[in-house]
Amino acid sequence: MALPVSVTAAPAEPVRAVSARHFVRLKLRVMGNNFRGQGWRIALFIGGALVGFWFAASGFFLLAAPGLTDEGRYAVLVAAAGGGLLLLGWLLLPLVFFGVDETLDPARFALLPLPRRALATGLFAAALVGVPALATLIATSGLVLTAWALGGWSAGLVAAVGVVAGLLLCVAASRAVTSAFASMLRSRRVRDLAAVLLAVAAALLGPLQIFGLAALRETDWARLTGAATVLGWTPFGAPWTVGIDVAQGRVWAAPLKLLITVAALGALLAWWSRSMESAMVGAVSAGPAPARRGGASGAVAQLFPRLAGWTRRDRFGALVAREARYWWRDARRRANLITIAVVGVFVPVMVNFGGARFAVEGEQGFAASDSSPVLVAVSMLFVGVLASVTLANQFGFDGSAYAANVVAGVPGRVELRARMTAFSMYVLPLLAVVAVVLSVVLGRPGWIGLTAGSLVATYGAGLAVNSFVSVLGAYSLPETSNPFAMNSGAGVAKGLLTLLSMLTTAVAAVPMVVAAGLLGDAWLWLALPVGLAYGVGAALLGAYLAGDVLDRRQPELLATVTPRR
Amino acid sequence: MTGEHSALALRGLAKRFDGTIAVAGVDLDVPTGSFYALLGPNGAGKTTTLSMAVGLLRPDAGSAWVLGHDVWRDPVTAKRLLGVMPDGVRLFDRLTGAELLAYHGLLRGMDPAVVDQRAAELLDVLALGDAGRTLVVDYSAGMKKKIGLACALLHGPRLLVLDEPFEAVDPVSAALIRDILTRYAAGGGTVVFSSHVMEVVERLCSHVAILAGGVIKRVGTIAEVRGERSLEQVFVEVVGGRTATGEELSWLSR
Repeated sequence: MALPVSVTAAPAEPVRAVSARHFVRLKLRVMGNNFRGQGWRIALFIGGALVGFWFAASGFFLLAAPGLTDEGRYAVLVAAAGGGLLLLGWLLLPLVFFGVDETLDPARFALLPLPRRALATGLFAAALVGVPALATLIATSGLVLTAWALGGWSAGLVAAVGVVAGLLLCVAASRAVTSAFASMLRSRRVRDLAAVLLAVAAALLGPLQIFGLAALRETDWARLTGAATVLGWTPFGAPWTVGIDVAQGRVWAAPLKLLITVAALGALLAWWSRSMESAMVGAVSAGPAPARRGGASGAVAQLFPRLAGWTRRDRFGALVAREARYWWRDARRRANLITIAVVGVFVPVMVNFGGARFAVEGEQGFAASDSSPVLVAVSMLFVGVLASVTLANQFGFDGSAYAANVVAGVPGRVELRARMTAFSMYVLPLLAVVAVVLSVVLGRPGWIGLTAGSLVATYGAGLAVNSFVSVLGAYSLPETSNPFAMNSGAGVAKGLLTLLSMLTTAVAAVPMVVAAGLLGDAWLWLALPVGLAYGVGAALLGAYLAGDVLDRRQPELLATVTPRR
Repeated sequence: MTGEHSALALRGLAKRFDGTIAVAGVDLDVPTGSFYALLGPNGAGKTTTLSMAVGLLRPDAGSAWVLGHDVWRDPVTAKRLLGVMPDGVRLFDRLTGAELLAYHGLLRGMDPAVVDQRAAELLDVLALGDAGRTLVVDYSAGMKKKIGLACALLHGPRLLVLDEPFEAVDPVSAALIRDILTRYAAGGGTVVFSSHVMEVVERLCSHVAILAGGVIKRVGTIAEVRGERSLEQVFVEVVGGRTATGEELSWLSR
């Protein structure tokens, strides 16, 4: 007997429209619940918010500077360039560094009978809630001040409209791009590949920026202002420059620029709401991969990659082999490796040349003699810190899979030593390349010892510091289809933890810089052996001490890296 | 009393999360050689109890012994005797099946040759050999359960603790898993598993404990717990489920 459930006869019950307010309240509630009973999370959030507001304040004064100093000439330049950079930041940063705020994941709404329009506006409104959006609003309100100072209240009012429209544009652009990526990257393989490409692009951002700064020194301001005027007619600059146009008498430009902004906003929102639909369906499995037969070789032989072939076939070896495989197969980890590779090579070269160039105002071009052992040691310290901080959340990469090691009762010291070894198999060759490239490019092959020594010492100290950080300050990474996702809201806070670990590492490696400054030429030869001993010693000591801590808190660590569902 | 230890003994295990009590003092004795089911509705504390019993989650109070070895005081010995398949826990899924087995085997300190031989056998028996170089992350749900079981069995544990081994598994794989577990128990091993699939429990198990609200409600051999009725009837009665009277939800039939 079928149940007498008739669908057609059901009278339409009154359905109340779901407004954006519901989504905003939902987001605030989710954020609030995240803090419940977790005092340190609140503390980290407040710390992150303070950093955000510090940036917001400095942005405010930068953008307000032309108004405050009454320098109308630079107003367009500052507004277009500053605002454009902000928008670019909103576009790219979430993809690479902080992850997308997945507090409200569109996929969670897939089963609700919501019109796409309501869902899109709701999620958009929710995306506007947060520290980054608030910080952007504060920073860009400096433009309102500039417009008001230069052109009175009417200009200020138009600037305010522009700033709000600009903020909407920033958020829409960021959402649209990330959502489009998430749906484009539905198969795991494509996703892995894209993450890597993005990592390369992101890693190149820094060097490009330094190139740009160097170029700035040589360009005359008139040309730049011209470029800014052109930029002002694109969506990147339009919302930010309207107020200044009014202030400077180009009133006719304001409606046109606002129109450009609104059109861009509309296009982005349309794009977003379209890609959201496919994002809601979620990721599909790549299915059984081409079943290449593993040949006749046994399971153990398959586990060990050639890279780790030298290790013994025991517990330590298995850990090293698994980690080595993971550094390559896990897109998140591979992206980290690539960042180290690109940034590690470019930044020291830039710092050493850039420092020399800025010092002499570009008079002599590439002047190798201007770099000093201290500067080299400092830049090496930076690379070493950057390389080792990748391990700050090494257990978070594993997630709940770490349970296997807990069940098997792996001793903490073995675990940490193996992880260091596997990571170093990728990083040490890279660091060697960095050391050689830098000393060759500087035209000072004799400094190889100095570069390599500082690098290894910092890296080793960093391994030790990050062993502790990874055991004590681990956090869970979400197991979502989006490789860029972080857990809700706390991205800034986690960044602070990373910053702390980097600072500690830097402090631990300062003796190498001091020695470079004090000991002069003798240090050029002593640096490598001393640095090696210092680095290896520090790493081993770190694994020894942190391993002890790990032994005592394995279950607690497992709990912190397991994503909450 | 040598050799007379329970395979698994729990005493007063308790755990609370953020003010909610998940497990409120569980005592349990699993006799060696038994096939023991831990039954309970969703949220009864099955996973929490088993996690505390195998050393994955530190209990607030109480203790657990595996064949006489305290899991929390002497974890090395206890864990050596133990094979575990946790539920809702990822495997190291960026490895292929064979690689994962090799990893688990070496992690347990086994001889590489033995690992090779057992891994090949397990992959063959569990019909995972065809997967070849497919990464475990791309396995189906049933295949993941099977490779998880293989990882737990690889080092020949004396006690096997499985959390929801039959959840989200197709009938063919379920039959295979049942087969292997029966053989393992017949060979002198002890199996403890959580489930809420009554017919599997009735068919396989020698003993059963019913857990609800973080407390053991009934415990004993299957015959003792069941009495004259079916296990499902006992279960629903113990857990305090309600049956629809027809009064409520009237709008469903319109």
